Amino acid sequence: MSGLLVGGVYGILAVGLSLAFGVMRIINFAHGELVMYGMFAGVVASRMLGIDPLLILPISFLVGALIGVAQYQIVFRHFVGQATLQQLLAAIGCALVLQMIAQLIFGADARTATSIFSGQYIVFGPFFLSKAQIVAFVIAASTTLAVSLLLNATAWGKAVRAVADDVEAAEIVGINSSTVNIGAFALSAGLAGLAGTVLVTYFPVTPVIGFSLMPMIIIACTIGGLGSLGGTFIGGICCGVIQQITAMMWNSALQDVPLYVLLLAFIAWRPTGLFGSRVE
Amino acid sequence: MSLLAVESLVVAHGDLVAVRDVSFNIEEGGVFVLLGANGAGKTSILRAISGLNPPRSGTIASDGRNLAGLKPHEVAAAGIAHVPEGRRVFPHLSVEDNLTVSFLVRRTNLKLAQARDNVYALFPRLAERRRQNGGTLSGGEQQMLAIGRAMMNFPRLLMLDEPSLGLSPLLAETVFERLGEISKLGLTILLVEQNAIALRLATRGLILTNGQVVLLGEVSALQDSEFVRHSYLGL
Ligand SMILES: Nc1ncnc2c1ncn2[C@@H]1O[C@H](COP(=O)(O)OP(=O)(O)OP(=O)(O)O)[C@@H](O)[C@H]1O
Ligand SMILES: [Mg+2]
Repeated sequence: MSGLLVGGVYGILAVGLSLAFGVMRIINFAHGELVMYGMFAGVVASRMLGIDPLLILPISFLVGALIGVAQYQIVFRHFVGQATLQQLLAAIGCALVLQMIAQLIFGADARTATSIFSGQYIVFGPFFLSKAQIVAFVIAASTTLAVSLLLNATAWGKAVRAVADDVEAAEIVGINSSTVNIGAFALSAGLAGLAGTVLVTYFPVTPVIGFSLMPMIIIACTIGGLGSLGGTFIGGICCGVIQQITAMMWNSALQDVPLYVLLLAFIAWRPTGLFGSRVE
Repeated sequence: MSLLAVESLVVAHGDLVAVRDVSFNIEEGGVFVLLGANGAGKTSILRAISGLNPPRSGTIASDGRNLAGLKPHEVAAAGIAHVPEGRRVFPHLSVEDNLTVSFLVRRTNLKLAQARDNVYALFPRLAERRRQNGGTLSGGEQQMLAIGRAMMNFPRLLMLDEPSLGLSPLLAETVFERLGEISKLGLTILLVEQNAIALRLATRGLILTNGQVVLLGEVSALQDSEFVRHSYLGL
């Protein structure tokens, strides 16, 4: 049960990465760093300004989106359409720079933030659930739903999906694919920022946390299908649930092992994931 | 001034020069046909005009406005629509959404729904399939959708790259019939074809061989040319 809740947050962490890949064929290995800045935004709000982190989610989104646009303009726009080795290296470089900047600003220590729900639990049948995690799940699920609506029911969203389907065809019918790409990347990065702030209400942040989040994000995307947002979200939930079951039945130190096995299995037998790779 | 003026166009793909020194003008009205065998360079010319493959040299102008350096979406906004080779409809968007996303340029005062209804009136088949995804349409329906999509921006010049390719003779006939109707509405058409039916629709045209113009003129001159007699009439 708490695996489901945690998994929802893995889901929203991964949805942004999946979106950028679906539209631009870019794998942003610095996605975890965007999450990290979202987490620090929550720390700043909670510890320095005395504001509940959950109240600053729009600002977290903006923080993520702004860093994302900078990333895109400096690095990723040169790699649109090509998830190449160079693109991966550039993204990792980007991640290291973002980590260093965070280290300079915030130091290397682990920081936490508290929302009104932090540290509170409710008993639900046989389950003992963290309120912060329940709230995080609700926010993650509703945000994923909102993004899905944005993509499927608005003119802008349809243009994004058109670019994802066929950039050249999109251009010749009059869609400016560069601005669509920037917008989609900003959305992807904004989601990471928002997810970070939600996460920090129950999980401490350090400047290097991005790299420890990234495997889970990648596994969620691989299970769900890179590009498919709903699929990715469900992939995240699968990760959380599998982790939880392993920890309960076996050993919590080994909770990620089945996930890596699953990752390898998907790569070998179903690289497009459960839900394929189209953006929707 | 010509609706489209192509002057000394050279298009290359890496080292391979696909189009050498091609010049032609298209005036308002009528159907201009661009004939040529496989690999002659027809697609390369259209892609250069619409900005997908910027030319190595030469000029392309519309009504005196130089199109060089424009992005494809800017060329579309200038009123030049491109129905690409292989149709290229958006496979995961519904028929309706394929049309909707093609209405961003706003070259008309019409509302989106009215613009779509124009297309549905031209291709009633698309109206029946409006909720279906582009990728699940038959080849002929996809071609109609690709043409309908291009019409959404109310272009002045409609360029089509082998619209009959892969269609049954009957369906090809239907597509050409619609193109005839579109032309009667006053829209100028640049039609790339290998199919000889195209000549029935055309007013002027040129024949391309190995990236070079071998004949340019009225359709009667094309019909009498050795290329057409040889390729299409088996003489
Ligand atoms: N992207 C590309 N890279 C390399 N060579 C290309 C590319 N596109 C076209 N060519 C080459 O340029 C030449 C002209 O090709 P083009 O597609 O313009 O011909 P076409 O007249 O449209 O032929 P078809 O009737 O088969 O469509 C051919 O020799 C082709 O192999
Ligand atoms: Mg061609």
